[in-house]
Amino acid sequence: MHAVIKGPGEDLTSALPLGYQNTIPGSITERGCAYCGAKHVIGTPMKDVIHLSHGPIGCTYDTWQTKRYISDNDNFQLKYTFASDMQEKHVVFGATKLLKDNIKEAFRAFPHMKRMTIYQTCASALIGDDINAIAAEVMEEMPDVDIFVCNSPGFKGPSQSGGHHTINIAWLKDKVGTFETEITSDYVINYVGEYNIQGDQDVMHNYFRRMGIQVLSTFTGNGSYDDLRGMHRAHLNVLECARSAEYICNELGVKYGIPRLDIDGFGFEPLSNSLRKVGLFFGIEDPAQAIIDEETARWKPELDWYKERLKGKKVCLWPGGSKLWHWAHVIHEEMGVDVISVYTKFGHQQDMEKGIARCEEGALAIDDPKELEGLEIMLKLKPDIIFTGKRPGEVAKKIRVSYLNAHAYHNGPWKGYEGWVRFAHDIYNAIYSPIHQLAFVDISKEEIPTDKGFVTQRMLSDATLSEDVVSSTRLRRYTGKYDCVPDYANATHPSFEGLPVAVE
Amino acid sequence: MKDRIALLEDYIMRNCLWQFHSRTWDRQRQNEGVLTKTMQILCAEPVARETLEDRCYWVDAVCLAEAFTNRYSWICELEKAEIKLLMQGLKDRIDFLTFKGSLNKELTDQHY
Repeated sequence: MHAVIKGPGEDLTSALPLGYQNTIPGSITERGCAYCGAKHVIGTPMKDVIHLSHGPIGCTYDTWQTKRYISDNDNFQLKYTFASDMQEKHVVFGATKLLKDNIKEAFRAFPHMKRMTIYQTCASALIGDDINAIAAEVMEEMPDVDIFVCNSPGFKGPSQSGGHHTINIAWLKDKVGTFETEITSDYVINYVGEYNIQGDQDVMHNYFRRMGIQVLSTFTGNGSYDDLRGMHRAHLNVLECARSAEYICNELGVKYGIPRLDIDGFGFEPLSNSLRKVGLFFGIEDPAQAIIDEETARWKPELDWYKERLKGKKVCLWPGGSKLWHWAHVIHEEMGVDVISVYTKFGHQQDMEKGIARCEEGALAIDDPKELEGLEIMLKLKPDIIFTGKRPGEVAKKIRVSYLNAHAYHNGPWKGYEGWVRFAHDIYNAIYSPIHQLAFVDISKEEIPTDKGFVTQRMLSDATLSEDVVSSTRLRRYTGKYDCVPDYANATHPSFEGLPVAVE
Repeated sequence: MKDRIALLEDYIMRNCLWQFHSRTWDRQRQNEGVLTKTMQILCAEPVARETLEDRCYWVDAVCLAEAFTNRYSWICELEKAEIKLLMQGLKDRIDFLTFKGSLNKELTDQHY
């Protein structure tokens, strides 16, 4: 079965839904395809690359303005999207000439871009176009360019997760080890499974740089193509989103002996533990602890302001994959909300293991829910808010359930200490938005009350709080900037003289 | 003993990630690496950390041992033999939850 309730006294050997199953034909699934997972999730966050889809132009839909993995090169990978624009005649006569012409045209149009990824789609896969052969021809003709081919058509796998898998393994086999990145520190990591959603990577890089760590590559948010070819030179793989990127970590371990350290970038305590672990690994605990102390002192009073006002609010935690477990316990611990349901669109049983282990008893866990199931659950459980993607999110709005975008965020970044406060701030704004006073009135049945004045957020959120909390001088609302990312991205840090990683 | 193991198990399952690697052989190795080193730290015994892999286990073990002693002060009062017994019981339980009794059908996949 694909849905279970974590009952009293149950553990993972009795409460675990099936996962990574084929989608039932005809159902309104919320998943993406394997091409989407390879290109739109993993591949395209690489910033200094022409990303070209070999297929119909419709396959490139999820690009400009629908993704929020920003980059520090003016968002080239978001601004420009490329497709070979296959038509019916190409299905009949083949599209390799069309592809080759497109590759050259794209390089000519952007002469400063010397790297390209090409993504197979259902159409080009079904007619058997040999993309690798065309890419090899072009690289021979244009020796200053490098091209990566990802053969992950939409039908290859139950969901976008199939595409994550394919591109992980393909990058490891075809590209890792083909470039020698310059090493500038004794402490070198690959930061893996991080996609720089609204600047998450900038925040975490800032912490790592303050510790004297060289982030050799980020797989793949704001990541550089050539840096990612040099992943084999790192000492440690620091893994965030295990669902989308553990494959390459595991293979880097097997092939190059680089160990994998799983971390949580979300939540004060998990993040502090994560920084501390990375610090311990390299013998640089002190700078890690300094960051933890400084950031906690700065932001904890603001997190606690929101916690007081969010206690007991019911949450359906319905993300794609990893946030199911990144957030399941820590939003309960640090924001006071109750997770009443967890689900995953494209996760595997491993994701559910982590999520169910971390959430409270009584939570309903569902794998790949259909739209009607989502509706039924919301009507039955009556959550105060759901964290999910934009497709089910818009459905939630229609039945007047607040929603936050768990994939792309509302006002991110949500990673890091400040980011976690921004997440709490977004939850607060969603739950206590004054718009609900009007939106929740069914004007087909009820009169709009004209004898009541406008009620503000604070009047709503503080109505049942004690005077001690309301007038606390320690607690305060978020005081950061509207756009906090530049301060993290542009911060300079003193060079750090350290010890070699080898120990006694 | 069973109640104490349950407390430690609950901490691991809620807060740690190392026990959930993707395949049976990974989980076996992770559980062995981290929990053995945690036991050694709690018993004040030498801990190998010469290789990058060992160092990675050691990192998780240090944090786990600290969390245990901070939360459960009774651990500090146990004799070495009792700690070893406790940690063996904990390892058996984590092994059961993560691969021996697991419902996860992907654990036996031969490839990553």
